[in-house]
This record gives sequence, structure tokens and C-alpha cells, in this order.
Amino acid sequence: MTTDYKISEMKMSEEQTGKWGMVIDQDICTGCQACVAACAMENNVTFVGEVDSGYGRSMHWIRIERFWEGEYPEVKMTSNQPMLCQQCGHATCEPVCPAFATVHSQAEQLNLQVYNRCVGTRYCANNCPYQVRAFNWRDYQRPEPLPNQFNPDVTVRRKGVMEKCTFCIQRIHKAQDKAKSEGREVVDGEFTTACAQACPANAITFGRVDDPKSLVSQMARAHGHGVKHLEELGTLPNVTYLKGG
Amino acid sequence: MIKRIFDWLKQPLGLIAVGIAFLSLFSLAAYGLYTTQQSPEQPIQFPHQTHIAFGIQCLYCHPGASSGPAAGLPSQAKCWGCHNQIAKTQTSALLAPLKDAVLSGTPIQWVPVAQVPDFVQFNHRAHIAAGKNCEDCHGDMSKVTIAQNPQVFNMGWCLNCHVESAGDDHEKLVKLSDCGTCHY
Amino acid sequence: MSEQFSRRDFLKLAGVGAATTAILTGCGPASRYVKREPYMQMPEYNYNGQSTYYATTCRECAAGCGLIVRTVQGRAIKTEGNANNPLNLGKTCARGQATLHGLYNPDRVTDPIKRSSRGGDSTQTMDWDAALQVVAEALKNNKPEEIAFLMGMAPDHLFDLVTDLAKATGMNSPVRFGALGMFEARATLSKAVENLFGGPGLPFFDIGGAQVVFSFGANFLETWLSPVSYTRGFAGLREALTKQRGKFVQFESRMSQTGGKADEWVPLRPGTEALVALAIGKLASEIRGGAMPRAFADVNPLDVASKSGIKLETLEHLAGMFANSTGALAIPGGAALGQTNGLAVAEAVLALNALSNNFGKPGGVYLSALAPNQTEHQRPASTQEMREFIQKMFDGKIKVLFVHGVNPLFELPTSLEFGGASKTVSQIISFATFPDETAREADYIFPDHHGLESWGYQRVATGSAQPVLSGAQPVVSPYYNTRATADVLIAAAQLAGGKFADALPFKDEVEFLQSKVSSLMNEADGSISGPDLPTFMAYFQQHGGFWKLSDGRGVPNAADVLNRNLSAGEAEFAGEGEFYFVPFVSPTLAEAGANKPWLQELPDPTTTVMWNTWVEINPETARELGLEDDDVVSIISEAGELEVPVYRYPAIRPDTIAIPFGQGHTAYGRYATSMDENGNVIARGVNPADLLGQHYNEAGDLAFAGMKVKIKKTGRKQPLSRLESIMGVYGVGLGEEH
Repeated sequence: MTTDYKISEMKMSEEQTGKWGMVIDQDICTGCQACVAACAMENNVTFVGEVDSGYGRSMHWIRIERFWEGEYPEVKMTSNQPMLCQQCGHATCEPVCPAFATVHSQAEQLNLQVYNRCVGTRYCANNCPYQVRAFNWRDYQRPEPLPNQFNPDVTVRRKGVMEKCTFCIQRIHKAQDKAKSEGREVVDGEFTTACAQACPANAITFGRVDDPKSLVSQMARAHGHGVKHLEELGTLPNVTYLKGG
Repeated sequence: MIKRIFDWLKQPLGLIAVGIAFLSLFSLAAYGLYTTQQSPEQPIQFPHQTHIAFGIQCLYCHPGASSGPAAGLPSQAKCWGCHNQIAKTQTSALLAPLKDAVLSGTPIQWVPVAQVPDFVQFNHRAHIAAGKNCEDCHGDMSKVTIAQNPQVFNMGWCLNCHVESAGDDHEKLVKLSDCGTCHY
Repeated sequence: MSEQFSRRDFLKLAGVGAATTAILTGCGPASRYVKREPYMQMPEYNYNGQSTYYATTCRECAAGCGLIVRTVQGRAIKTEGNANNPLNLGKTCARGQATLHGLYNPDRVTDPIKRSSRGGDSTQTMDWDAALQVVAEALKNNKPEEIAFLMGMAPDHLFDLVTDLAKATGMNSPVRFGALGMFEARATLSKAVENLFGGPGLPFFDIGGAQVVFSFGANFLETWLSPVSYTRGFAGLREALTKQRGKFVQFESRMSQTGGKADEWVPLRPGTEALVALAIGKLASEIRGGAMPRAFADVNPLDVASKSGIKLETLEHLAGMFANSTGALAIPGGAALGQTNGLAVAEAVLALNALSNNFGKPGGVYLSALAPNQTEHQRPASTQEMREFIQKMFDGKIKVLFVHGVNPLFELPTSLEFGGASKTVSQIISFATFPDETAREADYIFPDHHGLESWGYQRVATGSAQPVLSGAQPVVSPYYNTRATADVLIAAAQLAGGKFADALPFKDEVEFLQSKVSSLMNEADGSISGPDLPTFMAYFQQHGGFWKLSDGRGVPNAADVLNRNLSAGEAEFAGEGEFYFVPFVSPTLAEAGANKPWLQELPDPTTTVMWNTWVEINPETARELGLEDDDVVSIISEAGELEVPVYRYPAIRPDTIAIPFGQGHTAYGRYATSMDENGNVIARGVNPADLLGQHYNEAGDLAFAGMKVKIKKTGRKQPLSRLESIMGVYGVGLGEEH
């Protein structure tokens, strides 16, 4: 049967505001790595071991960047900068995928990575200005009984597949499913991503950016010094950073 | 060496040999494919039709289907709840594995029949809520013993139904045809 | 044709055959079908495919954060913070998240074990009945005063059980120790509080309510006392929406993760912390005007400036900042206390708070609340007390040693010679969950459950305004043939009979727990209450513990702090080297995280190094010594020598080097150790505790930051795995080998 997906009627992504977004307060991020560990546990992200991590093959979906300014004794560590997929409205990873494995979700306004379509060209990772995509160079071993910890809501990826932050789409779906079964809409703050949930400093806020009343929208507005990284590239990122100091 | 083999193969006898080799390879492959489509060996030849004939609803044994992602297998205590009152359980050879498992406290190792690949996140609840019935996907269980798949669960089959049920509702179509609805 | 059928042709055909077989079997039933096991008896609160959540307490450190663990069909999937627990309010640190990699660690001790010879690989699995008999005989056949328990800082319920047993039978009281306590210098903090405020206690610093925070070495965002709670406090300090953004100044010789968040990072010469605190006190008092407090009168700021390496203008500027703020707070901690004058540092810094008179006020210093079923302040043993304990072992006064929750062979400095002392103990019984170094040197391992499989409680020592008793319950059934140590002791005491049986008249661990918390049942101020014990216990488990609803913090009695004579001495340093040596606890691994693979793969927050140990050297110093990144150097102290690769760290004094503590395990499972080319288990990284000599401060804490060391080149290279670009900190140092 033929299907009319009515692409012409869909608004082009450039014109759309995102749906889900994040505000990260760099001033209170302490770089403690709780988000990194929480993300790994929630999303079945594999560890790669000392040798492969030395080659830069570690699979972190979120990492905390820190830079140095000045030289001793006037040296300063810049505000910690958690870097994760920015879920761009106009993502540079998407148009380069020959397999349509990196596609834009029209329903959730997220950048999807469809593992079963991915053939591992790694074009998307090369084209991502934020360098947040991770490639499975091997089938990394997680000996028994470690797999008992796997989150059944998230696919376990294998060798040759690209992966990246999903904004915990399994939690989005779960919350939507629950709300729908109760005949209501998802309430702001009802659920959050694994990183935001763990953060001891509450530096990460997640929610609907298309709802001006949501906490994440209010925070992005209230601070007045929120920036989006590499916005000049026209990527329309959905993560707002509140700069420190 | 290789050239000499080719010369030999061009003779009539060689052609016949090629034909036989091709046929045997083909039938081997066909047999291999056939085995992949067979229902697996189950620890108990569970007769679905008998249970349905007694009027037991699907959700009695698979209650997860209406409330969550997985329909689930009934606990052995649930099986035993009825079966320890049925005299035949004590004598039937078919039921002996159940009796052994329950009395010895070892779990029965069922082999799931209806399953989707790891990279598909399927949720029963949404489908039941959308008005689907169990038999729409799993077939008429009152006609089979061990569950069989009436159709191959592949993506085309899923999407056809998704698109059909969206109808003219554009927003629903977007949601139901979104990759991220099932793959993450 | 057959005579000319070459090997190569055969291989070609064989290859085709193998591929065909692989394709056919790859699609075959064996690979497609999995087995599923139903519940024998499904718990009534369980549903197929749906998660069940249990409240319990994190056991990765002794802070006692409440957890909610998501389980699916009997497997623990994810830990989340318990939002109701006043200590962590729904948050966790990285170690709390990775606790599941301990639960499902492939290298756990699976059964009770008898070891043929200490340190050897040859072991024999026992059954639990025999194990109980061994414990019972150890209790029964030795004089009570020859039996000793060495325990970790968690869990508290087991400590209470052993304490009760010891009291009733005349056994030695259990000794508690943890490397975190050593590096926190808890005894020093406690002693300083006693000296200044009249009674021992653990100070609590309300960072969240302060305007200006001066921290002297306290690594409160990493592992110090209660990192989740202090991180929340830090976020409160920075909260700019509702109040002015608070300022934070850190004094330390090596920039810690905490120091990296400071608005002003002040590198001072190690050992001069007390002087600097007093000088700031003096300068601030001058700015404030009025009579000069006795405490600060004797110090000469100009002298301090030259000794500490901080410019006088900087001291004056900082003093102005402190004096002109309405909410200034000074915190002593970390390496500043781990020096020979550590107690003086703690007192001088605590005294600074008297200037802003913040005792018992929001944004100030409190005494931590005692937990609900606690009557007096407790602290783990100081390193000097451990030294006395080890001396007892050497003197042959200890015949049986039980070890639980601590790994002294790794956590104690080698110079204390625990290893040597343990050889004089005739029987060592370890209750280790993991095969750590100490368990390897034990005669028996009777493995305890993992924390997530355990009952128990943990008293929250600090970090929460409310008194909190965090409760633990099993979130999954035990994965291996392990048994709760409390159950083992109760059963063994029954077997031993006599006063042992009388001391622990309980059916099991749960009954013991109930006896310990039953007094809280009808507390008027409690978060939960119940008409009867079963109801109360059900709430206790459901809510993850018991806490009071009111603020239980004490107000320090600081009436004459400023009128005291405070010592202004400098620390003494041991050893002949030219570099001050700062060991610091790895913020991600801490003392027991090295066996969790995801903790190993977390980049260190300051250097981004993963899976190994490094030594931090100032780039300028490295240039003078001709060292580049990844050059292996030998670090030599009076107590030992270590070989470790260089990380050129831009935020460390040129006369100081630093090594993280947390790696260097020679046992403790595959992720904590490494393998050489021949497949032998070797240490992963190094343990800086091997360099520490025996020097203590006045409070008995180890002067771990009081060493001077030498650096020697080895000429070897060992590349470190790091998350940041291998091009190095400033984009230089891209050696040819990369």
C-alpha cells in the first residue's frame, strides 16, 4: 500500500521551536560525574576499558568539559560544561546519513539514532560540531552477571553502530503512556532525564521548551545570560547553557 | 588446476554434476529457511485451545497486556491454582512437566513465540488502549495448541497498521510513523 | 585431479562451506529463541514488565544517602535518590549510581571460602553450617579480650550489633576505620570542635546560606563528609535568582575539583594554612575596627605573606572580602588538616567564623545533628588509634580478627605494617563481599550480601539539618550464596552458647534491627509513627528510614573562641625531597570504587584521566625536569617508592606534586587490577598511601600531606587514557609517539 506522509504539510524544522529542551547551569555544575554515571546506567552505555578509552573510543553520551585559562598562579578552571547531544532543530548529523539512521523525530522533535538502520559510516559523528556521538568500535564485553543491570527499555547496542544521547526518550514515552492511560497530559516536572534526576547540584533542568510556563522555559528566560553553543552554525540547539560568574 | 576443473565441468557429465550440486545446495538452503520458521520446541505442549474452550480470558493469564509493555507469562502458582484441583493433572503425561516443576520449585523454561527484535520497544498497553484485540496480532488462539504466529512480525506489517489506524489524523500519523516511537 | 588439488583450493572450498553453514545456523532456531522463566510465585505487588521500586540506603560511602532502586522482575536496574530523605533529597553521586556494578560485579565472593594458605589462590568452598561452626568456635575457644573486630564506617546496625556483643562478653570494642575518614581528618575536626566549643562533635557548614565561603583545603564537592549534601549547599551558595550570588575562595596547594569551582583560587605553601587563616583574621579585624581579638593578635601578616607565598595585597583583599560580608563562612578540611599542625589549622579556621559570628545561624557553623537512635558523637578511629590497634596485633594480644567493610591492607599506609601484624594473628575471618587484598590474606571469607541485598540502617553523621536514620532493606534477593554478617554472628553466638547466646537473643538480623529502632515508634517529632512494631517497620522500609521533622543541629558554644591563644606554627615535613606531596582521594573512585567498571571509565573531573593513576606536576616544573606527559617517574619518600606517569597539571604549585588515592589494587577483581603480558594479575595504577610515613597531628590523624618527596626519571613512557584531547592541556605536547 502506498502511504502519503504529507511531508509538504509538515513545517520545516528551521521554523519550529523544539519540543523538549534542557537548561544547564554551568555556575553550579561541580563536574562530579554523577550525570555521566546515571546516564550510563539508564541507557546501557558500555564501558570500553583502558586501551580503547585511550584511543578516544569511550562511549559517554554526556561528558563534562573543563578548560584552563591563564597560567599558574593566575590559572582558572572554566565553568564545567556538561556536553551532550543538543537535539538540534536543524541538525548537521541528519543530512549526511546515507542510511537514514539519523533522522529527525517529527513527533518529539528529537534527533533519533535508529540502531537497526545504522550501517556505521560514522559520517554523522564527523559532522557533529558538538562531538557528542559515540561509535561502537567493538562488541564490548560485559561479563555475567553485569547484564542483569540492563535497562529493558533501552536497546543494547552492538559493534558497528553509532549512538548518542536520546534525552531519555524511553522516559518520555513512559510518561506519555502513563499520562495517556490516565486521560491527561504530561505534567511539567512529572519525569526527567537520568542526568537531571541524579545531579546533586540540580544544575540540569529538563522539560518542554514549547511551553512558556514550564520550569525549563522560565529558567532560560529568567537568567538572561543563557547561551546556546555554536548557535551561529544554525543548528538550533535545544540545550541552553547558563554561564557562570 | 582451476582451468582444468572448468574444462571438465563443460562436458555433459560435468553439467549433470553441477546440476546435482546446485539442487542439493538449493534444497539445503530451503530446509534451513524452513527450520527458522518452525515453532520452537516447548517444555510443555501447552494447549491454548483447551484453556480458551473453558472460557478463560487472555488477560487472566497475561494480565500485563492491558497495563504495561509486556503481557507476561503467568506464574506457576497461577497454573497450579487451577491444576491442583484437576484430577487429570496427577495422571496426564502431558501435564507431568508442570507437576514436576511446581512441586520441585523449578521454573518452566518457556520459549517465547511472539517476539520482536531487541531494537524494537513494543508496548502492549498502547495497542489494547487503541482498541486492538489480542487475536488481531496473535491469531485465533482457540484453534492452536502452542501459540503460532499468523504473520511475521516485521516492520512493514507494523507500519501498515499504524498508517491505517491514523487515517486522516495528521498528528496521529506523525506520531505513529515516527522512528522514535518504536526504536530507541 | 585429486593429486593436483592444492591446499589453497581446499581452503577456498572450505571457506565457502563454512560461510554457508554459518548463514544457515545463524538464522536457525538456536540463535533466535530465548528461554523465559516465569515467577514461581509472583509477589502480589509485582506486575509483568513493570518496575517495582524499593527504598534503601546507599552503602558506597558512610554518608547514608537514601536510595530508591528500580527493579524489574527481581533485578536491580537503576538507583535513584530518595526524594524524601532529608540528607540527599532525591540526588545521588556517581558512586551511588554505579553501586549496581558492585551488586552485579563478576568478581564477587560467591560462597563461604576457606583459604589453604594466606595470600594463596588455593581455596575450598564451604557450606554455611560449617562456616557458622568456625565463627562459633572462634568466639568460644578464645579469650574474649583476644577477639577483635575491625569494621568499616558502614553499616551502623552491624557496628551496633558487634558493640552490644562486645559489651556483653568482654570482647574488644569494634574498631572502625575508613580511608575516607583518614583523608577527611575526622578526628582532627572532632578534636578542634571539642577544644573550641567544649564538647566533641562534627561541624556542619551551611554553605547554602552563606555569602562568602573560605575553604581551607576542604574538598566538600568530592568525597568530604557528605558530598551530595554539600553539593546542594554549594548550589545554594551560587543561587543567583533569589539572592546575590555567593563568593567562594579556596586555599590549597593543588587545585582540587572543589577548588576548580572557586571564584578565587589561592595557592599557598603547604603548612601555612593556620598562619594564613590567622592573618586574614587579623586583617579582617582591623577592617572591622575595635579591639584586636586575642586569637589573631600575635600574627604578622607581612611575615605570613612571605611564608605562604600569598601577596600581602591578596591577603588584604581577601580579608576585606571576609570582613565586609554579612555572611562569611570559613571551612577547614582535607589536606590542610592532614599535616603535623592540622589541629591548629582546624582551630584557626573555625575561629575565623567567630569574626562573622555565624555560629548556629543560617550560613554559619553548626554542630551536626545526632541521628535519632544515637546518644553521643561517634567517629571512626584515627590513624594513630589504628597504629595502637596494630601494635596490639604485633604484641600477640589478638588471636582472632574479624574484618568487615574495610580493606586495611589497601586503605592503611603500608608503613603501618598491617600486613606484618596480621601474620601474628592466628585466625583472620573476613566478611568481604569482594575478594579484596585483606580478604586474600584471611583464612576464611564468609561473604556478606551486597548493600542492595541487605537489611540495616545507617546513622547520618552530618549533612542534614534533621536527625536522620536511613533504613536499608534488600531490593533484590541475594544473587550468590552469601549471608548477612549480622545473621552469621547471631547464629554463631547461639552456637557458641553461654554469654554469647545471651548477648544476641535474636532470631535473625531483622529482629535485631527492630529491637534497635522500636524506641522511635512513638516519637512525636518523627517522620513516621506506628501503633505497633510491624506497622512501624513497614513504614520504616517503605520510606527508607526515620527522621525527625525539626532541626536537630546544635549551636556551638563559641563564647570565648576569639579570646584564646591560637597556635600559629607551621607544619613540619618529613623526608628529604624537594617536593611537597599531596595525596588526594579520587573524586570518582574514592576508597572502594575501583572494582566498578563504570567508575573506572568516569574521567577524573580535573584531569579527565580514566582507568589509571597519574602524578600531577606543574608544567613549568616538568619543563625544568625535562618531563612530558606520560613520562613515568619514580616518586621517592622516606616510606617508599612508586612509579607513576606524569600529568602536567596547570593548577598546582611548582613545588608540589599530587597523586590520587583509589587505584593500585593488587586484588579486588578484574576491573580494579590489571594484567601483564603473561596474564598475571598486577596492580592497576599505584596507591599513594605506600609513600606515607608515620607522622601524626595533635589529634592523632595521619599527617598524610606532610611528606616531602623526590622525583626520579625512569626513561619509560606509559600513555594515560584521558577524555580530553591527547594534545594536552594547552594544545602542546603532541609527541611523536601519538
